[in-house]
Amino acid sequence: MSYFLEGLKQGAALLLPPSSEILQIIALSLAVSGVATLLASLVAVPASLFLALKEFRGKRFLVGLVNTAMSVPAVLIGLLVYGLVNRRGPLGILGLLFTPGAMILAQALLAFPLITALALAALKGIARDARDLALSLGANRSQLAAAVIRQGRFAFLTAIIAGFSRVIGETGMTLMVGGNIKGQTRVLTTAISLETMKGNFELGIALGIVLLLAALAVNIALQGLQGK
Amino acid sequence: MQLRVENLGYRVGKKEILQGIDLEFAPGAVNVILGLNGAGKSTLLRLLALLDKPGQGEIYYDGQKRSTMSRCQCTALRRRCGFVFQSPLLLAGSVEDNLRFGPRLRDLNVGDHEIRQVLEKTGLNGREGQEARLLSGGEKQRLQLARVMLLDPDLYLLDEPTANLDPLSVKNIETAIARLAREGKTVILATHNLIQARLLAGEIVFLKDGLLVQAGAAAEVLSRPLSLDIAEFSAAENIIPGTLVLREGRTVLDCGQLAIEVVSERSGGRAAAVIRPEDILVSEKPISSSARNSFRGPILAVADLGAVMALSVDCSGILFTVFVTRISCAQMNLAPGIDVSLTFKATSVHLLPL
Repeated sequence: MSYFLEGLKQGAALLLPPSSEILQIIALSLAVSGVATLLASLVAVPASLFLALKEFRGKRFLVGLVNTAMSVPAVLIGLLVYGLVNRRGPLGILGLLFTPGAMILAQALLAFPLITALALAALKGIARDARDLALSLGANRSQLAAAVIRQGRFAFLTAIIAGFSRVIGETGMTLMVGGNIKGQTRVLTTAISLETMKGNFELGIALGIVLLLAALAVNIALQGLQGK
Repeated sequence: MQLRVENLGYRVGKKEILQGIDLEFAPGAVNVILGLNGAGKSTLLRLLALLDKPGQGEIYYDGQKRSTMSRCQCTALRRRCGFVFQSPLLLAGSVEDNLRFGPRLRDLNVGDHEIRQVLEKTGLNGREGQEARLLSGGEKQRLQLARVMLLDPDLYLLDEPTANLDPLSVKNIETAIARLAREGKTVILATHNLIQARLLAGEIVFLKDGLLVQAGAAAEVLSRPLSLDIAEFSAAENIIPGTLVLREGRTVLDCGQLAIEVVSERSGGRAAAVIRPEDILVSEKPISSSARNSFRGPILAVADLGAVMALSVDCSGILFTVFVTRISCAQMNLAPGIDVSLTFKATSVHLLPL
């Protein structure tokens, strides 16, 4: 047990103050996962709205597909993205492999079905009522979308936060397409994994603390927003 | 706004919710859509409000066809409609936020004075700042109505606006609805409350299982129902089944113990007689009159309905309900166990095919 405490103490010491290398890892983690979540949300929010409001043939199939996609293992998405961006792949010409770009792409693909499915589930009880209310009071198409988004904002927020938490904690897939290159594609999770395996337990703990704090901060921010 | 509905139908999956509805709605009187739960009342209102798309048929709004309207025209038309939902749909926010939402969608500026005025009309004075979702059920309904009234639409679609409310709230809302119709608005009210229909209706539309059973002036539909469903729904007190037969040149309804003389073109087959309690004369002794039907039996029960007393009279095993005024009841010493005579004309008997 003292071994753990010792590691915790040393880990904390490493963060006071953090080295520029640690700061860079933190910044890249937040940037990659932030951009990936943002991109995924830009598609997932309209998609969930569409699925919640529209009735059309094949809707049940599509919703089932989204729900299934949510449970696709991350490592398979890593495989897919690797196949897409490696030099012989269809996107190989962009030279994305082992760059933050590939990591963003993979994380966005991972987050998209999760955000869509969670938002859709939460919207179910809200969307139809919000639609009826806005339409009956004379909303046009864009006003209708705005009203439903406004009424369902907590649903979206919760789904987006869940998506962010999922991707910032993702390790294997990120390692596959990012490569964990020091100073270029090393993020919190891949660094923790590497440092721990190298025997740098204290550094692993230090980075773990940061990861935990980042997750906490995001959740506290969410609760602050919901309180309003 | 003049509304005409032609062969309107709507289905969910394979279930027909509405089928072959032909109707007209005019301004000036309250149009009541009557029917039991699941009759299709709400669906009809939603179709009229352009909240759902009809599966088949056509709706004409002042002659304008629903099926050929563009998205913009639909929005413009929705802005001439006001919908009050059965379970109140309110925005999170204050009463005033809710009221200002509609005008904001139309880029209209509404003054504090108008807000105050509409709250006064609906009995919500001084509630501007209150959180809308914390209002009581009756207040929520009145807020929905106020929100719609503020927009001054031509067509009001009210889906059971008084369901589950206390009597005072019901009274408030009913008064407001009657006033709207008087002001020349087109008002369509869905309800399964018969008393409300009697009180407010100018026209009645009766739906059953998605089909139109009868439409017409309220008095006509309630006193001369075209089907047993309406008679039973409208709580017609005396519904007596029997067989039509010709006896000594007159048509009578043979009800087993009793034969009721009726006016009918048919002289055979099963039918039910509907006799309104107010058309039956009660007397201590049999009276001689031109009325063809006279029966005698003991009073089983006397119920005080306030304005009148309702008597249950057992004539040879058939139970009649009749009304007498409070004064006659006292003068004739009417009480359970006393024998009375019931007299009514053959023309007072409304026949329904069975």
